[in-house]
Amino acid sequence: MASGDFQRAALEHLDALYNFAMYLTRNPPEADDLVQETYLRAFRFSHRFQPGTHLRAWLFQILRNTFLTFYRLRERESALAEDGVPTWDVPMFHDAPEESSSAVEAHTDLERALRRLPEEFRTVLLLAEVEGMALEDVARVLACPVGTVKSRIFRAKERLRGLLRDYAKE
Amino acid sequence: MTPPPYESDESLGARLRAELPRHTAPTHVRAAVAAAAAPARRSTPWLSPVLAAAATALVLGLVFMPMLPRFVHPTEQLVRSVVAEHTRTLMWGSRHSQVIPAALPWLTQESGIGLRQVFAGDDALVFVGAEPVYLDERRGMALYYRDGDGHLLTYVVLPFPGMAILDRWRVPIERGQSRYRPALLRDEGFSTWVWRQGDLACFLVSDMVSAEDAERFKDYFVRVRRATDPVLAQ
Repeated sequence: MASGDFQRAALEHLDALYNFAMYLTRNPPEADDLVQETYLRAFRFSHRFQPGTHLRAWLFQILRNTFLTFYRLRERESALAEDGVPTWDVPMFHDAPEESSSAVEAHTDLERALRRLPEEFRTVLLLAEVEGMALEDVARVLACPVGTVKSRIFRAKERLRGLLRDYAKE
Repeated sequence: MTPPPYESDESLGARLRAELPRHTAPTHVRAAVAAAAAPARRSTPWLSPVLAAAATALVLGLVFMPMLPRFVHPTEQLVRSVVAEHTRTLMWGSRHSQVIPAALPWLTQESGIGLRQVFAGDDALVFVGAEPVYLDERRGMALYYRDGDGHLLTYVVLPFPGMAILDRWRVPIERGQSRYRPALLRDEGFSTWVWRQGDLACFLVSDMVSAEDAERFKDYFVRVRRATDPVLAQ
């Protein structure tokens, strides 16, 4: 795939990636950074993309890996910050705490319940149910077998049902 | 919206698709991503392979360079042997330490080197002992001294006609009317004065490597050099 074609094809998934980023970060500035970082990486490593495979799944995989990388980094940094390490000049996602003023509020029980799911469960539901990805593509994004994806979807829905039941009782 | 108590997988999936708000990328993100894409269109396809090849060559060079045979100057090679002898003496002492001048005939016979004059120590350096040595296939002689701070000095004489001393190694030393230009070589944390006397190569080794030790080490060189006159034994 030529470079220009690759970029045009990649840009078609911008909204889907941004939506996914919003549900992962729950924070518009962080989602902005995450999506931009994802595209920078995708363009930089476009030669690694194998034509014929799903570009959409590849981009989602980059986004999720980037999120996990920086998320873990942020967790380490926050632990270090207690020891006096300055909090300025920190990488992406470090500026805003998890529930900052810019965090998007959950308007429905479904959103609230989804937020409370562990990242693995939230991601699998977003990809398989919201984005409508094939299980094989979801497995590629998560770098796990299809069987694991099925299992996670089942468990995620169980957990989601439980949370929705709890909210209904409130 | 209140969920039914036993919502099926299908209906839960449908709710997720229908009820979750969809976020679209803001204009500034769209513009930033598009701008990031623009330079890539002007990318040079040959650059990555060239850079990769250059990086590979650099890494291979760094990996294999230590394995390549390195030219060692014969004088440096000899200095290494002398330093090794000095280190051995530091750790285990001399093997056949003898006191000059009682042992001089025996020492000359064993080393092939005679001493017309020898530095037997003074207020700064105490003579410790002497013994024949065999370094780099050369028979020679080693004399040992110790200064007031406990530094061991090893003076070694070996036959080496025409030993080359590079000009860049030389250090000028002036003491009164006397002027010397011995070479100073450093190896394994030791300093070694190297000079020629006829067909003999002379070495004075110590662990005096710091800047403040340098002047003292010069002084020790002058003391030994002035008072020692080795020759090849007949």
